[in-house]
This record gives sequence, C-alpha cells and structure tokens, in this order.
Amino acid sequence: MAMKVVALAGNPNVGKTTVFNDLTGMRQHVGNWPGVTVEKKEGVFEHKGEKFLVVDLPGTYSLTAHSIDELVARNFLLTGNPDVVVDIIDSTSVLRNLLLTIEIFEMGLKNVIIALNKIDLAEKKGIRIDPVKMSKALGVPVVAMNAKEGIGIDELKEKIYEMAHGMTKTNPVVPKYDPEVEREIEHIIGCLKGTELENRYPLRWLAIKLLQRDDEVMKLVLRHIGEEKLKEIMTHIGEAEARYGRAMDLIIASQKYEFIDRLTHEFMSYAGKEEESLTDQLDRILVHPVYGFIALAIVFYGVFKFVFALGLPLQEWLGDLFDSFGQWLAPHIANETLRGLLVDGIIGGVGAVLSFFPLVFLLFFALSILEDVGYMARVAVLMEGIMRKFGLPGKAVIPLILGLGCNVPAVMATRTLEEERDRLVAMFVNPFIPCSARLSVISFLAGAFFSSNHALVALSVYMIAIVVALLSAWLVSHFVVKGEESPFVIELPEYLIPSWKTVILHSGERSKEFVKKAGTVILLGAIIIWYLSNYPVQIGSGKSYAERLGYFFEPYIRLMGLDWKAAVSLLFGIIAKENVISTYGVLYGSEEAIRTAMTSLQAYVLAVVTTLYIPCIATIGAIRAESNWKWALFTTLYMIAVASIVGILIWHVGIALGPS
Amino acid sequence: MLMIVPLNSLKPGDRGIVVNLQGGPGFRNRLLGMGIAPGAIVQVVEVYNPGPIIINVSGTRFAVGRGMASRILVRKL
Repeated sequence: MAMKVVALAGNPNVGKTTVFNDLTGMRQHVGNWPGVTVEKKEGVFEHKGEKFLVVDLPGTYSLTAHSIDELVARNFLLTGNPDVVVDIIDSTSVLRNLLLTIEIFEMGLKNVIIALNKIDLAEKKGIRIDPVKMSKALGVPVVAMNAKEGIGIDELKEKIYEMAHGMTKTNPVVPKYDPEVEREIEHIIGCLKGTELENRYPLRWLAIKLLQRDDEVMKLVLRHIGEEKLKEIMTHIGEAEARYGRAMDLIIASQKYEFIDRLTHEFMSYAGKEEESLTDQLDRILVHPVYGFIALAIVFYGVFKFVFALGLPLQEWLGDLFDSFGQWLAPHIANETLRGLLVDGIIGGVGAVLSFFPLVFLLFFALSILEDVGYMARVAVLMEGIMRKFGLPGKAVIPLILGLGCNVPAVMATRTLEEERDRLVAMFVNPFIPCSARLSVISFLAGAFFSSNHALVALSVYMIAIVVALLSAWLVSHFVVKGEESPFVIELPEYLIPSWKTVILHSGERSKEFVKKAGTVILLGAIIIWYLSNYPVQIGSGKSYAERLGYFFEPYIRLMGLDWKAAVSLLFGIIAKENVISTYGVLYGSEEAIRTAMTSLQAYVLAVVTTLYIPCIATIGAIRAESNWKWALFTTLYMIAVASIVGILIWHVGIALGPS
Repeated sequence: MLMIVPLNSLKPGDRGIVVNLQGGPGFRNRLLGMGIAPGAIVQVVEVYNPGPIIINVSGTRFAVGRGMASRILVRKL
C-alpha cells in the first residue's frame, strides 16, 4: 500500500521547518522540485505502525503565480493529491496567516489541519486563542503547538492519522464576497462549466484566480475555452472593475481580509499590552542606519573568525590525511598508470572534495543560526539601499561577504534569496570575490615583487575584483536575467533562540549535498589535470599535454605580457587557485625562482588575472548545482573575457607608464 | 475620509487603515499576501532616514522601502 502523503503549508517564519523536523527527525531527504531550483524536503514519520510521507512545501504568503515558490506549493496542493494538508500558523499573527488558509480552503481542499504554532509566544503577548472555537469557526481541526519544545506533535500526528483514514468530518469555511463579485464568479463558472476543467479543478477557485488576473490560470483556461471566450470573460471583469473604480484583486483581498477579521473575533481575544517588545528595542540598534552597520561588521567578523579559525585547520588536516593515505597506498600498486590515477587523480580529488566539508558545514551552521535567530532579515534591510544600486537585493550581500572566505559555500548561500533572478545574479558575480586561496596567490606575488608596499598592492587587487563584481552584477541584472525587480518589503520576525536540532539538521543536509553535487565536478577535474600533466611524458619535460596546452595558449596570454608557464599555471589553478604558485614551482624548480623570472608588472598582471579569470572547479560545480550547466558555463566564459580585458589593459597601461 | 495619505508620510506611532495600493500586479500581490490589504490597520513603528519604514500589521513587523511606502495609501486614524 502506498504511503499516505501529508503536505506542510504555511507562511515563512512560522516554524514550519521545526514542525517538519519534529515530525520526521533524521528520516528526511532534501532534493529539488522537478524542473526548478526550489528546495524540496521530504521525510517519513510513523504513527500507530503506519508510515506517512511528509512533503514540506515552500513557505509562502499566498499562492499566486508571481513567485516560483508559490507556484510550486500551489501546484502540489492542486495536483499532488495530498491525503492531508497541515497548514502551520503563527499564533502571534493569526489574521495575516489565515489569508493563506482561506486560499487553501478556496482551492477546494477539505482535508486540512491547522497547526497553531508558537502558542506560547502568543500567550506572552496577551493573545488568547481558543482552539476549540477556532476549529468550529474554520471548520477544520486545530492543534495548538509549540514545535520548538515538541509540544503538540503527538496530537498533530494523531489528527493526521484520523484524517488520513477518513475519520474526520470537515467543513472548511470560505468567504462570500459582495453580490457584485459573486455575480462575476457565477458568470465565469458558467463559462467554464462543461469543459474538461470542471473535472480537474474547483471552478470557483479558477474563477477567483481569473478575477485576480492570475497568469498561470489565464493560460490554463485559455487552453480549454479558447481566446475569444477568455477575452469575453476578461472584458466582463474589466467592466465590473470600472463600476467599482478599483482592481478586482484589491476588492477581493479587502473583502477576504474583512471576512477573516470578523472570523477571528469568534475565537481570539487580545488583552492589549502596548509595551515595547525586546525585538523593537533590539531593532532600534540593529536596523539603525549607523549602529546597524557597526553591528553588522562585528557579527560578520565573528562568523568569519568562527568558520575559518575552526575550519581551515580541519581542512588542512583532512587534506594531509588523504595525502598520507595516497603515499601509503602508492607502493602497494604495481601498475604505474593505475597507481597514478588512483593516488593523484582519485584520492587527490576525493581529498580535495572532502577537505572542503568542514568549511561548508561550519559556514552553513553559522548562517543557520543567524537565520533562525532572525538576524538575516535585518542584514537584508540594512544593505538594501547599497545593493539595489547594483541590481541586487540587500540580502545578496551575505554570499558576497562569504566569498572572501570560500566561493563554494558562498555560491550555495545564494539560495537564501527568494527570487530566481536575484539568485542567478548573485551566484554569477560571486567568483569575482577573492577567496582565501586567491589571497595566498595575491600575497605571495605582492610579497615577492613589491616588498615595500605589498599590502597596498594586495589591497588594489581586491579593489579591482570588488569593482568588477559590482559592475558585473549591474550588467547582468540589467541585460541578461529577466524578471521584475523584487519589491522591498521584508518581514522582520521576532528574535528567537534557535532550535539546535533544526540548525544542525539543516547544515548537515546542505553540506552533504555539496559533497554530492560539487564533488563529482571536482573529482572529474582532478583526474583530467592528473592526465594532462602525466601524459605522454611527465610535466617538467616540456612534452606533457599540460605544457603543450601552455604553448598553445602562449600567443593569447602574450597579450597580457605573460608566457606559456603562466598559461600552464593558470590552467592548473582551475582545480584550486593556490595551484598557480605551486605549478610555477614545478616549472621553475622552485617557487623562489619566480622572483627572477618575471618583472613586477608581469607579477601584478598575474595576480589580477588569477583573481578574475575563472571560478575554481569546485565553484563551477557549486554554480552548476545551484542553477544549471548553461549558467555555470556562461559565468566561466564571462570571467575569462573579463580577466583577459583587464589583464591586457593593465599590461599595456603599465608598459606605457614605463618601467616601475 | 479626507485624510488619505501615503504611508511614508506617517510618523512613528501613527496608525492608518490601508485604502489602496498603487502599483503593478507584482507589487500589489506581494503586499496583499503579506496582509497589507485594503482594510488592514498599519502602525508605523519606526522611520529611518535614509532607509526603510518599519510597520506593524496585525502583529507582524515589516520593513518597507520608501518607494513602496509612497504607493500604499492609508486613511490616518
């Protein structure tokens, strides 16, 4: 027998993830919804010996066709045939949360349970809700919960069980609109009756969505009744709007709002305590245009310290571990080719992947805490003004800052952005932000060639990179990615102590995903590089494929004043940027030999080009994982182009200015 | 009825009832979903200049950009 399916719906910030974790524990799986980059979480729980499949829908305020998250949630509710829908509501904001509930009811779904979460917080604020009366008023079961403490979970499971087995009678309440609006609804239902639509969708819901001019529903209806008929419906709606003097979506929203407002009086009372909350007091500092930025700098400095002070030694340790394993294994393999492939290619590659794991995990751990506490929303608000100038929302600053450490987790952090368009731009420009691996190249070259003012030189490379990143963001957001600019309205959730279970589960899942997805690309890259530098003759002989590629690219790289050795080094830098210097070491015999082999101008060009030219293979893997191959390829080609232009420019300007 | 003003003209502590949202479907939609619909009571918590306006709608705080706030019309209470 197939498992019964339970869908979790609800607004953002209602504690949906906590309820999901309470229900499923470790038995969960994160993937993507088919065809889109929206995260899909599924899990299983058992009650009375029966297993239930829980599907966590994206957190949304409503179910319109305007955002991909909402569309995903809506389509699942409409066509996924969930046996039970659990609508999670924040008890401190019932009025607003019920907008979504009513929308679910209007979709004709009958098997709905309301999980009234954060009931403890509501009580603290003097909001009294009677679950029994609420259940009566809404016509569906209501479970009062405090998911963070696990309160109410057993009752919820029991209610799900009962409903899934047809033991619950429900009668979801739906609003009746003004006679004029109802007449429109009737008219549209009349037009849709007798079509295939009648068997597949609730007609009243389709009618309401048409009144709101929902794109997807309009397309759907068009396919079934033809252009002429749809046009007639829309004209009819237009006439009604003219009589009202305002758009139908506003009319419907305000009547729905009034309806819910009346409804809440039946089960909710407010013992008004007008005192300022702790959240308001904290926000006076954390959202303040001056103090807020100071706090922001301190918080991110702390995150950095935490992630890198703990993560870098672990990364090194894991890298060493794989190295020694390879060295231990090598003498045991007689076949030379197999030995090389296994030790340098596969073990080296797997080592490179896994050595990223601590960094990725710690970073997601820190970010999850900031998110759960409610701080991320404040960061977004603070940075909005600045980031918007470059076509990005305020929140996009977080991945950019993280990129200074490592671009791989930074690219993955772009998923915290709601709009697909913003995500694409943010991950596109991220590789320009110099990560710590590039810091090692920059500081080596600056130290070797610009002894007196190396810090200034290094800083100038960073400035070039940041300027290029911001300009690229502007370019791409204006000319490449489509989509409306996301309006600036951000919920500021109450500050909360995070649920550790959620934080750890969350960061664990995401890091695991990184290893799976970015891992394959890194491994592949390691094997290719191993092959290029060992065939047909080992590197250093001048006859390896790697060196031949270097000669091949020499005419091109000459434009920037660099030679074939630089081409080989940059090629190997694709695996990991710190390879740029170590490859030079191999080609010259020692890293120190570079000092005499290059002018300071060439060194500067090399530093800048290393920073800009291409994301490392792990970052390409991450971009692919977060978007698609096309976008990863476009990012890569764009970076090569930009690095070439900037490299050529600096070389020629440098030459023109004379030897310095 | 005469005191219909854009939201960004309110001062901290002021309250108003939303009467209209002037903007495209995407803009309206986003606000309507968040409960910033005609009929909703909005209280201004804080005004930052430069920066957003912090409002409270039925128990939830939102930061709204100035541009957006100027297109939310309210009747001052």
